[in-house]
Amino acid sequence: MYIIVVGGGNVGYGLALELQRLPDYEVTIVELNSRRAASLREELGEMVVHGDGSEIAFLEGVGASRADLLIAVTADDGANLVTSQVAHHWFKVPRVIARVNDPHNEALFSRMGVDSIVSASGAVMAQIEATLPEHTLIPLMALESAGLRIVSMRVQSGSTVAGQTLKEAQFPAGVLITIVIGAEGAATPDGTTVLQPGDEIVAVVPRGAEETLRDMVTAGPAVED
Amino acid sequence: MRVIIMGCGRVGAGLAQRLVTEGHAVTVLDTDSFAFRRLLPEFKGRRLQGSGTDDRLLIEAGVEQADVFVAVASGDNRNILASEKAKEIYGVKTVVTRVKDPLRAQLFNSLGLRTFSPTSVGIELAHDALVDEAGR
Repeated sequence: MYIIVVGGGNVGYGLALELQRLPDYEVTIVELNSRRAASLREELGEMVVHGDGSEIAFLEGVGASRADLLIAVTADDGANLVTSQVAHHWFKVPRVIARVNDPHNEALFSRMGVDSIVSASGAVMAQIEATLPEHTLIPLMALESAGLRIVSMRVQSGSTVAGQTLKEAQFPAGVLITIVIGAEGAATPDGTTVLQPGDEIVAVVPRGAEETLRDMVTAGPAVED
Repeated sequence: MRVIIMGCGRVGAGLAQRLVTEGHAVTVLDTDSFAFRRLLPEFKGRRLQGSGTDDRLLIEAGVEQADVFVAVASGDNRNILASEKAKEIYGVKTVVTRVKDPLRAQLFNSLGLRTFSPTSVGIELAHDALVDEAGR
């Protein structure tokens, strides 16, 4: 598996550290700034290449046409958009992930057909939401080209689906419940799986169905004593 | 026509002057207010300081009502980002984008942006001129 990471900032560096530990992965990190590239190279070695990852001729030189995955994570949204488009349309890289720095640009990146979008502010919001006791639905990942999101939800007591089997719960069409994490650990559910209050569900959700899903796992307004 | 020009360099400023003379309503954007010195003092269009990739500035410039968006700022990627935004998000009908890198210009042209590459044009002109001179 060959992976190209464009952008050697904190995000790209962190990614590269993780990826290079995996045995069957070949990783190249592309960094535009020559001094940053040199210092990364001292630590990570040959995998670091100095150059412009949004330039077709340069990407050709680092083997973009045989890449299985390209991840564009610079701090510049213009560069990330162009790099992801070049990877997708010119080199036909099967899977392309781009970082969005300005949340206003998320809609455009989705429209341009980037497979997955990593939004810094979106990720931070998800972290904050996850720490709140009342959290109900946390976006984990967006599969934009398919119009899907992977979300995590916690079943609240008193909600519509609490105590029901998956079959009875009748989630909206297209919702795929992939894992139910209950008191006894994670399990692959079937129609007879009973959703208990406190269970965590990981689901693939079509765009637009999130609100309905949120309502189904959430209890009504709390009644104050 | 209502025209927004991103980038007040020699090309942006010159184009802005010309379009105003032809009777069009022109707004020029540049991140550096010093760039507006290239416009004549009596320039009748609007000057707005800020980035053409910034949604708030684009809306202030009237992108939602604009007929034409021209991106001639210095960076290829910024020009492309702003142009795609004008076209895909704000529905501007005519979008023209300067992309210096010829291959990148070609790719985004095939993806539906009207791009032009001053590099390709320059190579053609220089080549034709030298062949013409040498042949004399």
